[in-house]
Amino acid sequence: MSLHSRLWRRSIGARITVLFLGLLLAVQLASFAALHASLSVHAQRTLPTRLLEGERLLRNLLDRRAQTVTDGARLLAADYGFREAIGSDDAQTIVSVLGNHGARIGATEAALLSTDFRLRATTSAQPHEIAALAAHLAAQAASAGHASAITLLEGHPYQAVLVPLKAPLLVGWVWMAFPLDGQLVADMSSLSGLDLTVLSRASAHEPWAVDLSSLDARRAGELANQPWTPDGAADAGMTTVAAQGEELGVRGLDLGSGRRADAGVVALVSLSVDDAVRLPADLQIALIVINIVGVLVFALGSVATARRVTTPLRGLADAAERLGAGDYATPMDGQQRRDEIGELSQSFERMRHSVAENQAQILRLAYWDSLTGLPNRARFREAVDDAVRAASVHAAVQGPGASVAVLLLDLNRFKHVNDVLGYRVGDLVLVGVAERLGATLARDGDLVARLSGDEFAILLRRADAEQALAVARRIERSFDAPLALAEHRVDIGAGIGIACWPQHADDGDALLVRAEMAMYAAKRLSDGPQCYDPALDATSAQTLTLMSELRQAVEHNELRLYLQPKLALEDRSVVGAEALVRWQHPVRGLVPPLQFIPFAEQTGFIRTLTLWVFEEAARHWQALADDGQDLRLSVNLSTRDLMDPDLALKFDALLIKHLVPASAFCLEITESAIMDDPQRALATLDALHEMGFKLSIDDFGTGYSSLAYLKRLPVDELKIDQSFVRGMQGDRDDATIVRSTIDLAHNLGILVVAEGVENAEVWTMLRDLRCDQAQGFHMGRPMPVHEFAAWSTSWGMRRQAVEGDAVHVLH
Amino acid sequence: MLSRRASFIASLVLAAAAPACGAAAVRAVVTDASGHALADAIVTLQPSAGRLPVRPMAEVQIAQHDLRFDPVLTVVTVGTPVLFPNRDTVRHHVYSFSSTKTFQLKLYAGVPHKPVVFDKPGIAVLGCNIHDQMVAWVVVVDTPLWARSDAGGLAQVDGVAPGSYQMRVWHATLAESTPPVVLPLLVAGADVEQPVRLGRDGSAK
Repeated sequence: MSLHSRLWRRSIGARITVLFLGLLLAVQLASFAALHASLSVHAQRTLPTRLLEGERLLRNLLDRRAQTVTDGARLLAADYGFREAIGSDDAQTIVSVLGNHGARIGATEAALLSTDFRLRATTSAQPHEIAALAAHLAAQAASAGHASAITLLEGHPYQAVLVPLKAPLLVGWVWMAFPLDGQLVADMSSLSGLDLTVLSRASAHEPWAVDLSSLDARRAGELANQPWTPDGAADAGMTTVAAQGEELGVRGLDLGSGRRADAGVVALVSLSVDDAVRLPADLQIALIVINIVGVLVFALGSVATARRVTTPLRGLADAAERLGAGDYATPMDGQQRRDEIGELSQSFERMRHSVAENQAQILRLAYWDSLTGLPNRARFREAVDDAVRAASVHAAVQGPGASVAVLLLDLNRFKHVNDVLGYRVGDLVLVGVAERLGATLARDGDLVARLSGDEFAILLRRADAEQALAVARRIERSFDAPLALAEHRVDIGAGIGIACWPQHADDGDALLVRAEMAMYAAKRLSDGPQCYDPALDATSAQTLTLMSELRQAVEHNELRLYLQPKLALEDRSVVGAEALVRWQHPVRGLVPPLQFIPFAEQTGFIRTLTLWVFEEAARHWQALADDGQDLRLSVNLSTRDLMDPDLALKFDALLIKHLVPASAFCLEITESAIMDDPQRALATLDALHEMGFKLSIDDFGTGYSSLAYLKRLPVDELKIDQSFVRGMQGDRDDATIVRSTIDLAHNLGILVVAEGVENAEVWTMLRDLRCDQAQGFHMGRPMPVHEFAAWSTSWGMRRQAVEGDAVHVLH
Repeated sequence: MLSRRASFIASLVLAAAAPACGAAAVRAVVTDASGHALADAIVTLQPSAGRLPVRPMAEVQIAQHDLRFDPVLTVVTVGTPVLFPNRDTVRHHVYSFSSTKTFQLKLYAGVPHKPVVFDKPGIAVLGCNIHDQMVAWVVVVDTPLWARSDAGGLAQVDGVAPGSYQMRVWHATLAESTPPVVLPLLVAGADVEQPVRLGRDGSAK
């Protein structure tokens, strides 16, 4: 497509202009054609009239000429000397006076006739011819007293006259002949503008010959070639003759044939049809000037009109563009106009207002949480992006040092609150938390948002990990006081994850994702706010393929069962082992549990893993039992396992399959796993307990469940979280917690297991506190199941060899 | 033509010269072709054989008065002198190209010194070169027997002796080309009444 056609299609103005000009030109052409046709028709119509008038003029000229020569002849005939010479009766004298006096008035031939028209004398050498010609006029002369006629003499047309000779009465007649000369043609042309051609022929058999013509010789010759008949020529209206490429309108006039009927003289009055039809030159110039001026005026007018239309249209289009681009602030132009454009502008203006209002409403809905009045996730994401961008600019200008921190909070047990106290209280809790968070943040520019449900986020625009951690701790402290609602006092707690730009992430999205990871880690560890740690996070590429690889791992037997021994503190005997899964990746080698267990928990694949571990444990339990080792194997259950109503059935099927009693297993459940949905968890636990499984609370102490609550659970065992165990050597509080936990558990008839025993001192302390069992590197790391039997045997041998000695000596 | 007319006039004059013996009167009643009486017709009688003697008249005058000849028609005998007194205040140029008497009196006023003698029988047509409308006839006869018709067309010739005559009748309206009216007439002693009808084109001048 050419530039022109594009312009044409895109520009209304160009189309209006072209249309106007086209119409004008069409009208002009039509009027020009009509004018031309009208003039032509008029000319055509008037041609015969003009020719008729020409003929009349010619007749008049001929009559006057005849009259003139007649008068001349009369005068001559009355001349005394002439009459005297005639009266001399001398033939030669008479001929002389005829010739001499005739020449005076232009007659080339003259003759004297008797009163009865007999030839008496003539200047001509052909007296008979003259006598005949004179006799031809006799009748006319006899009645009218004189006569005149066009006559053909020696092949040429003449004006012949016959006048009486009186002395003083009629004594004879004088005949004179005057050649038709160019004066007639000249007079005709000057008086009428018509051309005159005189043709003659001596007989009907001969062609016409041109005697006189104001036309050029060739055109006159063409006319002579036409078949003029003396009779027809007289009354024919108009004949058109093509002569030399020019059309001539011709009217013929019979001038007489002389004395012979078949001889003739024809006068042709003619004019050029083309000339007559052609527009006069000055009219043509006037028309051209009018047309050019008209086109110019129209062009200017149509361009101006098109502008008047298209300029406001363009303005409206620009305004619409602005609206589309989100600029709702600029008012429309042209609203004051009273025409359609004005109406359009006003409509646009109304549209602008309503769109702006809608936009504002949408923004409110899109970016603000209606319950707490806090920004929502979308708004928060934008704020994070903006902060990161601003910090990037800042860093680019002022060098490194700028930092943006994001804190993500997820309330603990919020679902429980909702379930127990109702959604109204739940909403009040959320509002209360929002207020606490707002109150905690002192700095301007920091932003609190509610991302979803019980998830809150805080943006610290200028804070590194340390400062963020301090803020997180401040938040935790602000949560120490329970929320006092109308009828309830609700304890609040949250997992807080922290990620910082540029330390942990390159952009806003990654920052949020990593803060979330840190938050999950914090909730899992129940150990206060957590900063993002790359260890929490498999590389993204690994994460993407982890799921399929995990499935493959199960199918291809890449998973390995590891056992970590559990020892009785009392006699150091091996009483059980915790069954753990390890992943022997064919390429990556042994994959640490932290790299896939959290992921499996997130995705629900953990249930597959749990069943795998359970079945492997069952399979090996029989082998160990055959080997004489009566062990109770611990298997970890996740929240998702507890949520599976068919878990008991699946375990039962596996027990039957491997012929293992349920009492051979202890199922370990974390506090938080129960607390997410206590009702269902309790149902599952009850079912498992009834089947004969031992149940253990894992990582005890990190949650906030009270021992009194534990009492309601069908629990046989507590596993004190290793953080307390590790700390009890240097921290009196931890030691106190451990001791009171043991005491209370024992009071409830629950067995206590200590995790994370890493040295003999702790072992001894735990034994002194009458803790029941211990688990830790000090005794045995998790080991492949096939090595366990050997380790167990050697441990038994060493235990007996150094009975009573410190365990660390054994190692 | 001229010669023919001359002979006609000559015979007319001869007719008037018939011998008068036991004279009788010849009365010619002249009408034109349509039967109307013609005045001023000239009737002459000439004996069929021989001639009658005739003498010239005394001087006759044809005056020019009010741009007219007066009289318009004059009959004279051969040899009669005619004087042309001009009584107008303008001059006249009297002429005649007739073969009976060719003459001209160039522009003159008053009375010319000499009369013009008409010495041949015949008819002379007189004109004025500067007043074309002026015309006069002079009939020159060579017989004493002639008469001029009155308003009733009657022309009476008295004293005609018995005998055989040629009667000729002329009138100014007779065209020159018209054959002369010649009637044979026998006079036995008694008066003769002779009706004469002039030619068809008697209206020609």
